[in-house]
Amino acid sequence: MVSAPPIAAEPRAAAKKAKKKVKAVPRRQLSFGQRLRRDWPLLLMCLPAMLLLLVFHYVPALGNVIAFQDYNPFVGDDPLEAFLYSEWIGFGNFEYLFKNPAFWDSVVTTLSITAFQLVFYFPIPILLAILLNSIMSPRIRSLVQSVVYLPHFFSWVLVVSLFQMMLGGAGLLAQTVRQAGYTPPEIMTNPDTFMFLVTSQALWKDAGWGMIVFLAALAAIDTSLYEAAAADGAGRWRRMWHITLPGLRSVIVLLLILRLGDALNVGFEQFVLQREMVGREAAEVLDTYVYYQGIAVQQWGVGAAAGLFKAVIGILLIVGANKLAHRFGEQGIYSKS
Amino acid sequence: MRRTLSGASTNRRNFLGLVGLGTASLASGGALAGCSKEPTSKGSATTAEQAAGVVPNFKDSTLVQPDVKGVRPMADGYVKYPASLADAVTEKAITSGKPVTASTPWWGPAPPAANKLVEAVNADMGGVINFSIQDGNTYGDKLNTMLGARDVPELTCIPGWEINKLARFSEGVHALFEDLTPYLAGDKVNAYPLLAGLDTKAWQDSVWGGKLMAVPFPTDSPYPSVLYYRKDAADERGIAAPTTLDELYDFGKKFTNADKGEWAFGDIWLEVQQICGAGGSENGWMKTADGKVVHRHETPEYKRAVEFMARLYAEKLIHPDVAASKGGDQTTLFKGSKIFMYATGGGSWKETWPSAVQANPKFNMQAVKVFGADKGKPPVRWQARSAIIWTFIKKGLGQERTQELLRVLNYTAAPFGTKEWELQNYGAEGTHFQRDGSGTPVTNDLWTKEFANQYVFLGGRPPVVVGGPTIPTYAADFVNWGNDATQYLEKNPWDGIKVETPSQQAAIEQPTQDKITDIQRGRTPLGDFDKVISDWKAGGGDAARDFYAKVLADNGR
Repeated sequence: MVSAPPIAAEPRAAAKKAKKKVKAVPRRQLSFGQRLRRDWPLLLMCLPAMLLLLVFHYVPALGNVIAFQDYNPFVGDDPLEAFLYSEWIGFGNFEYLFKNPAFWDSVVTTLSITAFQLVFYFPIPILLAILLNSIMSPRIRSLVQSVVYLPHFFSWVLVVSLFQMMLGGAGLLAQTVRQAGYTPPEIMTNPDTFMFLVTSQALWKDAGWGMIVFLAALAAIDTSLYEAAAADGAGRWRRMWHITLPGLRSVIVLLLILRLGDALNVGFEQFVLQREMVGREAAEVLDTYVYYQGIAVQQWGVGAAAGLFKAVIGILLIVGANKLAHRFGEQGIYSKS
Repeated sequence: MRRTLSGASTNRRNFLGLVGLGTASLASGGALAGCSKEPTSKGSATTAEQAAGVVPNFKDSTLVQPDVKGVRPMADGYVKYPASLADAVTEKAITSGKPVTASTPWWGPAPPAANKLVEAVNADMGGVINFSIQDGNTYGDKLNTMLGARDVPELTCIPGWEINKLARFSEGVHALFEDLTPYLAGDKVNAYPLLAGLDTKAWQDSVWGGKLMAVPFPTDSPYPSVLYYRKDAADERGIAAPTTLDELYDFGKKFTNADKGEWAFGDIWLEVQQICGAGGSENGWMKTADGKVVHRHETPEYKRAVEFMARLYAEKLIHPDVAASKGGDQTTLFKGSKIFMYATGGGSWKETWPSAVQANPKFNMQAVKVFGADKGKPPVRWQARSAIIWTFIKKGLGQERTQELLRVLNYTAAPFGTKEWELQNYGAEGTHFQRDGSGTPVTNDLWTKEFANQYVFLGGRPPVVVGGPTIPTYAADFVNWGNDATQYLEKNPWDGIKVETPSQQAAIEQPTQDKITDIQRGRTPLGDFDKVISDWKAGGGDAARDFYAKVLADNGR
């Protein structure tokens, strides 16, 4: 501890010197060509990602204009002209959406599922990561890891049919209970417990995958901190509270903010597949609403409007949550500049 | 500021004029709320008169006398395979050597690209057809994208049940596809003699906005659904096929044994409606005897059907997997003796039976002879469209190429009993099939791998019911069943008119179906039924009624 201050002081001094040097050669004097020559490898590395972003995100985003149109893909001579010549109807699509009680029903259902999963889903990967991290044997650890990752690669169709085969009315559980002479519980078709069901499906499928980020963060925590704490007599819980959790905090906050931005996205397939089982009231989320009321009945403008609504709410939530994170002294997803 | 804005708006005026925004909105100062307007797709209808004048003249192309004659619109059935086959197309269809691009759906594993079956047919046609085979379950989504991007192949196959999901198809069809009237109307079709053998009604069904836009694939049977049951299991247990609604319920009681994992029914909703006598072949709409346009939803017969289904669900006579998902995998359950009765399309009969017989030689799948809810009360059989699938030719390919493509479609229209029909359905002899003692083709594993109904879906052919060596009674069973059912076939007053429902009226349909499903599954009490229907009327049902009534009035019906 005694030797620490000089070490910290040295780089600071070096940085000061460096700053002076940089000032000596002002940025403006570097011509575009010079900078290009200096930075071209960096630019080249960014290029594919930029192209991807441009082609698959920015260009399609222009298509959002149809949210303000009575979009007709067949006016004009080519698809581009269809955007230009479709009738502008201002906020008509939004009016149609906002006036529709079924739309708000789906928003409420979506938000309740998000809230529920924030409490019952979000912490699980963290716990799982901490648990797994405490396993000493690397062989057992990688085995458990692979086992819990695996379901992530199953499609929702597969996950839902697996649940149906296990817990459905003619599934393993129901038949076993029946043979024992009892009436099996209705797990898959009960609208009241649907939220538990979808959350447990999501957990089974994705908790292992969600754990990866936390495992990486755990690996970054300096083990000497644990050793020092243990030497000072800190028990298992104290170490977790004072070292592990603070070490994970920035990642947790980051993911929490991102999840909030995604509040209106709870998935499509999982719900469209199980909609029939529990009915519209329990299973109609925003995305299925958009599918049935926008895409399936050719109201593309309405679908685009709902998408835009979702995006705007998402941005507001991200910015808001990030602000909040800054207030608590966290880095958030981007720092204040 | 003001000046620049108004300067901008003069530029914008031209632009907005182009995009069809009225000057009224400019006058309102550009306030967005002022010019906001709800989206509309107005719906459209091609009148019957428009359709009548442009269709090809019919010239029967039947070569082989059927073993079981179908009562139209039921197709003819063939029990025996003809001993000698005709060579219907002697000249090569493709003469330019340019490959033809085509898009077809298929419900199964994608066939290999290096495909001997395709090669064999191509060789006979004289050119190459490059198929883009899409998953049938998501074909509608693919079509929407293709059409929206106006990037269609030279031949596009569009199933009838997808048409209503395609955005503004009545406009898109003219923007994307060639008008075939100048090539096929009246006697012009004689250049393509096999196309002349397609049913006139199916051709009428291929007219959009007074123009012949597609080559139809006529349906084999006019029934959108068939009620199948396991005759072998019923005979074994001494239970007769039902002939009334009460007997249907008894059938359910007798066959359900949850402890053994057996339930009587799959999804029989489509059939229960028809048994109860709820009509409405035109998207649910019908015309009553006193000339009123009503929807199936509003009839007491429909309510009775909903009540009956609610009872089946409540007493758990329907397989839980089917109750849990839309459709479930009913075919597998049916083959595996987990369910004993279900309703689905007529095409399923021939797809299900042969493979099931291989696993269980006793397996006997039969259609229940149609019956009404009560003794002496006839059922209603809905009538499907005359064309089940259409093939469209891309617009602007030029006269020569269009004619060449029509020759390809002429080739695919070869009737049963021709070499072309055999080649397209069974592949090449020796490679894909062998003949049994009677000369009937018996297909092998390579056929199973390579056959994806490519040429069958590519273009229409005269309707036909043909069995195979594993299901020798199928053709007679199907045609006899269908012939009996034709007496109950509902008259559709919109027949021959192509009606495209306005999108907002279509939008009310799904929530209503959801609510009715809720009632059937017992999630909502039966007492809510009337409220669901009155909500439907207010939410667009009455507007749709006016629309459908107007279509009839415009046609003088």
